[in-house]
Amino acid sequence: MRFVKAFALVCALLVANTSFATNVEDIHTFTLKNGMQFLVLEDHSIPNANMYLFWKVGSRNEYPGITGLSHFFEHMMFNGSKKYGPKMFDRTMEAAGGSNNAYTTENLTVYTDWFPAASIETMFDLEADRIANLSIDKNMVESERGVVTSERSTGLENSNFRAISEEVKNAAFRAHPYSWSVIGHQSDIDNWSLEDLKRFHKTYYAPNNAVVVIAGDVTVAKVKSLAKQYFESIPAQKPPRKIHTVEPEQKGERRAYLHKASVTTPNILMAFHVPETQHEDYYALDILSDILSVGDSSRLQKSLVNDKQIASSIFTYMPQSIDPNLFYIYAVAAKDINAQVLEKSVIAEINSIMREGITAQELQKVKNTKLVNFYREMSTINGKANTIGSFQMYFGDYKKLFSAPQDYEKVTVDDVQRVAKKYLRKANRTVGVLSSQEDSSNEDL
Amino acid sequence: MKIYNALLAIFFTLISQIATAGYTLPSYEKFTLKNGLTVILMEQHEVPLIDVNIVVNVGAIDDANNAGLSYLTAQNLLLGTKHLSKTQLDQQIDFVGAELYSTANLEFSTIGASFAVKDTDNIMNILRDAVLFPRFDETEFKKHKSRHALQLTQRKESPRSVVNQYFNRLVFGQNGYGAVTSGDQESIKSLSLPLIKQHHSKWYKANNAAVIVVGDFETEVMKEKIQQLFSSWSSATPDLQQQDIKKTPHASSPQVLLVNKGDARESTFLIGGKGIARNNPDIVGLSVINTILGGRFTSWLNDELRVNAGLTYGARSRFTSYSHDGTFTISTFTKTETTIEAIDLALKTYQRLWQQGIDSATLTSAKAYVKGQFPPKFETANQLADLLANMYGYGFDESYINTFEQQVDSLTIEKSRQLINTYFPKENLQFVVIGKADEIRKALTKYGKITETDIKKSGFNIQ
Repeated sequence: MRFVKAFALVCALLVANTSFATNVEDIHTFTLKNGMQFLVLEDHSIPNANMYLFWKVGSRNEYPGITGLSHFFEHMMFNGSKKYGPKMFDRTMEAAGGSNNAYTTENLTVYTDWFPAASIETMFDLEADRIANLSIDKNMVESERGVVTSERSTGLENSNFRAISEEVKNAAFRAHPYSWSVIGHQSDIDNWSLEDLKRFHKTYYAPNNAVVVIAGDVTVAKVKSLAKQYFESIPAQKPPRKIHTVEPEQKGERRAYLHKASVTTPNILMAFHVPETQHEDYYALDILSDILSVGDSSRLQKSLVNDKQIASSIFTYMPQSIDPNLFYIYAVAAKDINAQVLEKSVIAEINSIMREGITAQELQKVKNTKLVNFYREMSTINGKANTIGSFQMYFGDYKKLFSAPQDYEKVTVDDVQRVAKKYLRKANRTVGVLSSQEDSSNEDL
Repeated sequence: MKIYNALLAIFFTLISQIATAGYTLPSYEKFTLKNGLTVILMEQHEVPLIDVNIVVNVGAIDDANNAGLSYLTAQNLLLGTKHLSKTQLDQQIDFVGAELYSTANLEFSTIGASFAVKDTDNIMNILRDAVLFPRFDETEFKKHKSRHALQLTQRKESPRSVVNQYFNRLVFGQNGYGAVTSGDQESIKSLSLPLIKQHHSKWYKANNAAVIVVGDFETEVMKEKIQQLFSSWSSATPDLQQQDIKKTPHASSPQVLLVNKGDARESTFLIGGKGIARNNPDIVGLSVINTILGGRFTSWLNDELRVNAGLTYGARSRFTSYSHDGTFTISTFTKTETTIEAIDLALKTYQRLWQQGIDSATLTSAKAYVKGQFPPKFETANQLADLLANMYGYGFDESYINTFEQQVDSLTIEKSRQLINTYFPKENLQFVVIGKADEIRKALTKYGKITETDIKKSGFNIQ
């Protein structure tokens, strides 16, 4: 993330078969000669538009020594290029009434420009300049190291999830690059070289490694002509090397522990290996996640937070992912509840789904909720751009957004029980505990 | 269309400047039922969703010695109704993907819902019952309260989530806008269910509330529905009066509140003083000036502290406004060792407002920026329902929206100089610093008289 404004995570969504304003035909696509793909959605509800640039590069493209580099690079893309020198990218954009941000995940780096529609040409000019002609200034690199160090530190200071998830990811993955946090190790932030940065830009910021989504008060014809004018001359590059590392199957429970003095009650984070987003089990797992934790009537909220008062808060999270990744369950203990009791209680709820399955009513609830959430997401031009782009990147085809109803509809109560049994097993899990108690005491001796 | 744009067509022509179109709030109907209930209806048909906010004029400023009472009352409304237990209510809401929420701030309480059009009858019935006929079940009350007590402690784990509360306490004292909306460990001990019932029956009256509906409906049909649901809501005689807010005087000396956090890896701080009330006629002009100082990425503060010095991930400034008063704050964070360097640089940058003032290129850029970023703020039914709730709760009208562009355009260098001299606190600045006290205490004395507390201490008492 580039700036303190948070950007909401996009969940997988469901679309109605009928009566919705955006249909698959409303999305216009074209590809430039250099391989750069465009998706355009006209929406004239406000006199604004956006440009979302999805680059297929994230922490999964790193290796020890340059961990965190894709996120750092997200910052460097704002620090000056040939036509628009240091600071001029932001100054020019803001003077044209636009604002921007960017975020980096394990899989992607996404740049977001929001602007009055009349300023669209300025956006093309700015983006083309930094893609084609980024200058990596030594002084800017040094000052940006300080910025990213502060970003890393303020995340660990203010977010318990950030702190414990670093430990859990590291224990769950020993081979695949999902092992380290997106922000990277501090010693790598301190030490990567100018050479590392230059190579990175050339490899990954090539037009054939990007998908551009534009939504708002624009016309497809105008976007097409600007795209050709500004982007088509940027040369394509050899595709980046494939990430061939496959995480070996986990064959027994792994554990992590983190001591932080200011934690009130213990927090636990469980993580289970699950397949990538394009796998056939994705939809059933996504539904399972919601059945466990979305809404006060969900399994974990109702049982552990409300009825038994064992947890004070709970959520589950399964990121969309290019490679097989993790299904997370996060729980914070209620007063006077220790980590073991909390952990056992979460496991008991999972076991109950594995043994007895879910009800048809629970399944229908999740399907209904996904539909309403889809409308919420698609009620802004930014939600539209981000959703369409995410589907293109993670499902390999934005059209999957429009076939999602059938894909979710196919999921049965038996499927949900089956994926619970298959993935939420002890041997496949990593458990992290975050606590104010030190992990060492005299009793260890 | 969410925001009307009279000159839409010119956006398609190639003009170098940002088009100066006038935004106006979409039309809505506002009327009062016989029982005094204010009703505001605004149609928005882009997606089949409806957002409702019920606003009641009671907030933390009215809690007196029972800090947290307004907030806990609002929260308890969602723990079951006379017809539905909490479990039944949760199931009905969740099954259709609706959202139901309630909260209170310093001045008003809001109970809201977001739902699909086809569920209008069902969800609006539940919402009405929650506000008028809450179950107030003893067991659910106790469970909720113990969760809330723990959350009060958990909030203190994150300096960012409590630093503003310390600042308000420093500027406004214990009452008025210094009140703690969520209460503290001590104050919530005495909050019993009978007290909450009493609070509810006193303040939740038709002539002390507004029902705001925005979304995909026909006004005539919705009017009838509101009439049917809410016409039996009783009113209060005489009219209820909220706690009178006495304007707090400006600080007479610089003060530093140092909040120790033993395991801090960084210092989180605010610098500022008093700001402006929500209905201040200069609020738009000030937002343009603040954009230059600390309201966007290229703002002076972010440029100096982040881009030039690499001291922080972000530095900004803002006005926070209430009905009768407000604050102005500069906020950032930096690693413990650079605390003083960052504060000094923030102060030096702030002084530019007076020493150099604003140049015309920067002013032009800031104007384009605030205008360009304005329409997406009121794009959805949910955003518009919140805007209407704030208008009712804080007592300002749509001229803020409808004259926004014109006010932005009319700001001159000379006018900005006047606004800076009138409103930005220049002397006797107030500081809140959360961090490792032992490592920064001594150096902080140069900014003002230090008062110290520990983040682990319950509540926000300064002495």
